[in-house]
Amino acid sequence: MQIYETFGNYVDQWSRTDPQRARWLLKTGWEVQDIRYRVLPQRELMPADRYLARVMMDRMLQPLKRPEQSAVVSIFTPCELLQEVGLSPYNVEGFSSYISASCAGQGCLQQAENSGISETLCSYHKTFIGAAERGLLPKPRCVVYTNLTCDANLVTFRHLAQLFDVPSFAIDVPMQQNEENVEYVAGQLREMAAFLEKCTGTAVDEARLKERMRRSRRTLENYERFQELRMDRYVPSDLVTPMFAGIANQLFLGTKEQEAYTEMLLREVRRAEPAAGKRIYWMHTIPFWSEAVKKELSLQRSAQIVGCEMSEFCSSDFEPEHPYEAMAKRMVYNGINGSVIRRIERGIESAKRVRADGAVWFCHWGCKHTLGGAQLAKKRFEAAGIPLLILDGDGCDQSHGGEGQTSTRLGAFLEMLQA
Amino acid sequence: MNGNKTYYVCKYTPVELLAAFGAECANLNSMPRGFELADQIAHPNLCGFGKALLQAVMEGRVRELVLVNCCDTIRSVADVLEDSGRLDFLYLVDALHCDGVCSRERMAAQLKGLAGAYGAYTGRSFDETRFRAAFKAPERVKGPHLSVMGARMGTELFEMVENAMPLPVQNDSCVHNRSVGEMLPPEGLDFDALMNWYAGEILGQIPCMRMTDNTGRKRLYHDPDLKGIIYHTVKFCDFYSFEYAELKDHANLPLLKIESDYTVQSSGQLLTRLEAFAESLAPEERKEREKKMGKGYAAGIDSGSTSTDVVILDPDGNVVTGIILPTGAGAALGAERALEEALRQSGLKRDDISAMVTTGYGRSAIHEGDKSITEITCHARGAHYLDPSVRTVIDIGGQDSKVIRLDENGAVANFVMNDKCAAGTGRFLEMMARTMEMSLEQMSEIGLSWREDITISSMCTVFAESEVVSLIAQNKPAGDIIHGLNKAVASKTASLAKRVGGEETYMMTGGVSKNKGLVKTLEETLGTKLAVSEMAQLCGALGAALFAADMV
Repeated sequence: MQIYETFGNYVDQWSRTDPQRARWLLKTGWEVQDIRYRVLPQRELMPADRYLARVMMDRMLQPLKRPEQSAVVSIFTPCELLQEVGLSPYNVEGFSSYISASCAGQGCLQQAENSGISETLCSYHKTFIGAAERGLLPKPRCVVYTNLTCDANLVTFRHLAQLFDVPSFAIDVPMQQNEENVEYVAGQLREMAAFLEKCTGTAVDEARLKERMRRSRRTLENYERFQELRMDRYVPSDLVTPMFAGIANQLFLGTKEQEAYTEMLLREVRRAEPAAGKRIYWMHTIPFWSEAVKKELSLQRSAQIVGCEMSEFCSSDFEPEHPYEAMAKRMVYNGINGSVIRRIERGIESAKRVRADGAVWFCHWGCKHTLGGAQLAKKRFEAAGIPLLILDGDGCDQSHGGEGQTSTRLGAFLEMLQA
Repeated sequence: MNGNKTYYVCKYTPVELLAAFGAECANLNSMPRGFELADQIAHPNLCGFGKALLQAVMEGRVRELVLVNCCDTIRSVADVLEDSGRLDFLYLVDALHCDGVCSRERMAAQLKGLAGAYGAYTGRSFDETRFRAAFKAPERVKGPHLSVMGARMGTELFEMVENAMPLPVQNDSCVHNRSVGEMLPPEGLDFDALMNWYAGEILGQIPCMRMTDNTGRKRLYHDPDLKGIIYHTVKFCDFYSFEYAELKDHANLPLLKIESDYTVQSSGQLLTRLEAFAESLAPEERKEREKKMGKGYAAGIDSGSTSTDVVILDPDGNVVTGIILPTGAGAALGAERALEEALRQSGLKRDDISAMVTTGYGRSAIHEGDKSITEITCHARGAHYLDPSVRTVIDIGGQDSKVIRLDENGAVANFVMNDKCAAGTGRFLEMMARTMEMSLEQMSEIGLSWREDITISSMCTVFAESEVVSLIAQNKPAGDIIHGLNKAVASKTASLAKRVGGEETYMMTGGVSKNKGLVKTLEETLGTKLAVSEMAQLCGALGAALFAADMV
């Protein structure tokens, strides 16, 4: 841990005076971590998950290496179009998590608050804004985002587009699930294709896009099948793997790497050991940094995370031959769009599929959608026979504190499940 | 509030359409005293307005409610209220985020959906005459005025703002700048065409922060009659902090930022800031005072949460005496004792004092003074007297911390205060000293010598205390822990200084300026020297005395 802290301190200090140098250090540090993933992978994880960790690190490095070939995106932005024009996703949630894991997040959070941004804003967004304001993050080609569910998207990405002084495109996603709304979003996605073509000078090839959408569907089908097969298997998990899967199942859909990952999962889950310990289904983000959560759930046979809603927001129920409508349907019918009751019911269904013994509803600081639905979730999960723990915390900000409370709550919940 | 009305909360609500079905619509805008019922069914960290809404419904004060998908909080409120079954009629309008042609079509579909649902609920049908009659042009303040902008401001807080300000105030926050009604519906349209037109009117208003393109908001602050802005944010509503971040650097107008949690109590705590802002807008008012009797001495009393300070000036403006006493149980009594002591030390009588100004938290409880002025204005004046080159004053007091920027005449150019939690205040350090079982004097010295650069990551007093306890358990030296605490306070304070645009020369005032370790760490964090006068703790009282001298 000491080495990460020292690294983070240097990134933080240099970003105040020499952002270019700080950015170089951040990139170099991540490249070292990338090599470490290849040479010294986390042996306890399945090979598929080790592969995913490497893919994630590679993808995070892309915007630092070639920022002009990247687009800043929110997590629910469909990225197949980006891939078609050769842009890599430069994602707020992913980047902020890596900055935080590199122990360089505090200065970024402080920077954003200094500029007047509310301290109650989601820390994923605040970390990214602070890092961008400090000049730690390079200028992308453009910004593409959607207002799907998360309020912070509406303001953060507009602010980033101004800050980086690049063109931006917003996708307005209505709350209700119906064909008219799918058409409305599909129309915007066609405009988005034109926007990206203009930004990059690269044309979107409809035939290739369809092929990419077929790959996206196969990938999601594989993942859904994996979760089904997981119901009576022990799949070792740390706290970051479910988050990696969550990011990858949104942003990397349509890539060969993501399809390969899900194929590996399917092969490996069939060979996995029989289920062991208590099985927890996790709603919303996971505080990867929390020692209290690690102690109970990271690579523990006694209890482990067997699924996270973040990786199951998108359904494979779409028609790749109509790629724009397919992407639009994935957004309008996304598990987190609309009433929180939809989200809860989907969570219950997913938790049942993996035979979860209990669920955690993680109230990430600043996420009003999750906070507001907490009591409803408790009522409905428990009515469905799945005990639910409402856990307050922060998925990204390591200074959030409250480790003692987290440890007591989570520990008592697991004791209760084991009793 | 009563059950006969149909309440709404957002300017994108089609209130004219509801009126066409005979509804009597009202903006739900009152601030509750607390959120007990709301917290039971939702979560404490929702925005205060969302909780006010839940509270009103759970108290049975609302039976019909039409919401708009304004934000995650309001959507959550709709979910929770739907589940509660406490309303006779609840509808969530899925208003779009753009006002292009396609969005208008989708919005028109939403309007028709609401018309169908409300018609079925009331058993009434659409009455075009009523619809047309409901369009009324909004009234606006004319002539020089101030404006409240940002997140919605409750009725009680807005009244307080109006009372405190020297100019009329326009409420342009959130729902209050609704502009539907400026145009009347065209004649001869069928219902569908009328709804299409109406959807355009609703989406075409001055955009709120939830709209994708919000450049039209500039209209709000480009009014030549606008003389100042009171920018309001609600705790846990993040939209408007982005506009504030931009405005604070670009608005060429006096700007005050205030934050409330949408309770009546939180509004009360904002009074000092509002009054200080009003003072900075109309400084000339203080000079027009009648001459007082006495021997030409002037006194200033600063009634703080921890100590009460008195400064007396002679007729030539020289400091005769300055004393500091604990405030004790009551502000008025504490002030009386401190004044008696100051008079005794200077050999003066009460009648020798020609004018007296009170300042500090207890200022309004002291009836003896000729005038009360906020401690922000007084600290600025006192600091300017002590060193005219000072442009930024950092005052960390017991209850709050402030950073004040001055102009070359010692008048307040801008200021910010911490939020109401104790993070970054004198009380935070006091509590930590108590946890470490040492006095504040010991803390001041010990914090100067440290070896390991510890970071106390949590600024929440409660969590920070548990971090300190765990560091003590790890046998970390006291100097290292205190340095960590000093860094935490310094970082919070430096953040305030950046927000206000702090510039050299910096002066530190207030009791915490005696903490040597903190002063050193703060200097390192800010990258500048802090002037600390021997009269640092008396700066507020000195400023008050100087204002009193103006009246002599």
